[in-house]
Amino acid sequence: MLVEFEQIQKAQAGDDAAFNQVVVAYRKRILGTIARLIGRPEDVEDVAQEVFLRLYYSLDQLRTPEVFEPWLYRLTVNASYDYLRKQRRRNESRMSDLSEQQVMMADAAAGGKVSSEEQRRKQVKELVDSLLGAVSEQDRILLTLKEVEGLSLKELEKIYRVNENALKVRLFRARQRVLNAFEASQGSAKPGEQKS
Amino acid sequence: MNQRDRDNELNALFAAYKAAVPDPDASANFMPELWRKIEARQSFTIRVRKLTQVFVGAAAAICLLFAMVLAVPGSHPTELRGTYIDVLADAHPADNLAALGIHGDAAEANTK
Repeated sequence: MLVEFEQIQKAQAGDDAAFNQVVVAYRKRILGTIARLIGRPEDVEDVAQEVFLRLYYSLDQLRTPEVFEPWLYRLTVNASYDYLRKQRRRNESRMSDLSEQQVMMADAAAGGKVSSEEQRRKQVKELVDSLLGAVSEQDRILLTLKEVEGLSLKELEKIYRVNENALKVRLFRARQRVLNAFEASQGSAKPGEQKS
Repeated sequence: MNQRDRDNELNALFAAYKAAVPDPDASANFMPELWRKIEARQSFTIRVRKLTQVFVGAAAAICLLFAMVLAVPGSHPTELRGTYIDVLADAHPADNLAALGIHGDAAEANTK
């Protein structure tokens, strides 16, 4: 826990200063998780604010402070899922944004503005984002929490409120799809690598 | 490449992804914007609550009005008693029917 139970109890009682402290303690972690869940840095703060907004209005429903963290993760998962679902609807316009970004990136790289390390990071990010595109938004979130965020099955069980076996099955299937996409991407990348 | 190699490679890719997307710092505007959103939702909730109160009040007033209209004596046009046939017989006495040239058993019985 990044804050004392007392702090959460005070926030539950309507103490805005205590709520502020809870937000300050958790925001960096939540921002990081959201950044990796949604893959769009420009919208990370908006989604994080939505998480804390939901936290503010539902804090009184929290029975015990002990389950605060899984509960905060659940709010994060739900807000990220809502965001990804909205994004899918706006996919076409977003695709044009992405291509524009890629063009800018390529221009910057050509001008020597972007370091090779930065380029490598960008490539990894784009590759993982495209691989996670092979699964549904829900599975993308679940897989990211497990494989990238490193949450245990026990923790995921608390967040999703489903039994471990069901989670294992979902994770296995999602991972298999991502693995297949990974293989396919490697297969398509190889001819390009040979050309260069 | 076997399954284990592919798994290891994917794990390495996920680890690289975490390193490539570190936890970002919040902007200076994060907390003010959050509180602005909280207050905006609060005022929206208050407005909805007020509107609900107005509707409930109006509905209660209308119910009261209807109850009063129904409770005032003489507000009903006629009080219905008996069967439909009785009501018809009351509305059309036998004398009137005879005057109209309608002769039925009931009319005859009445005149006799």
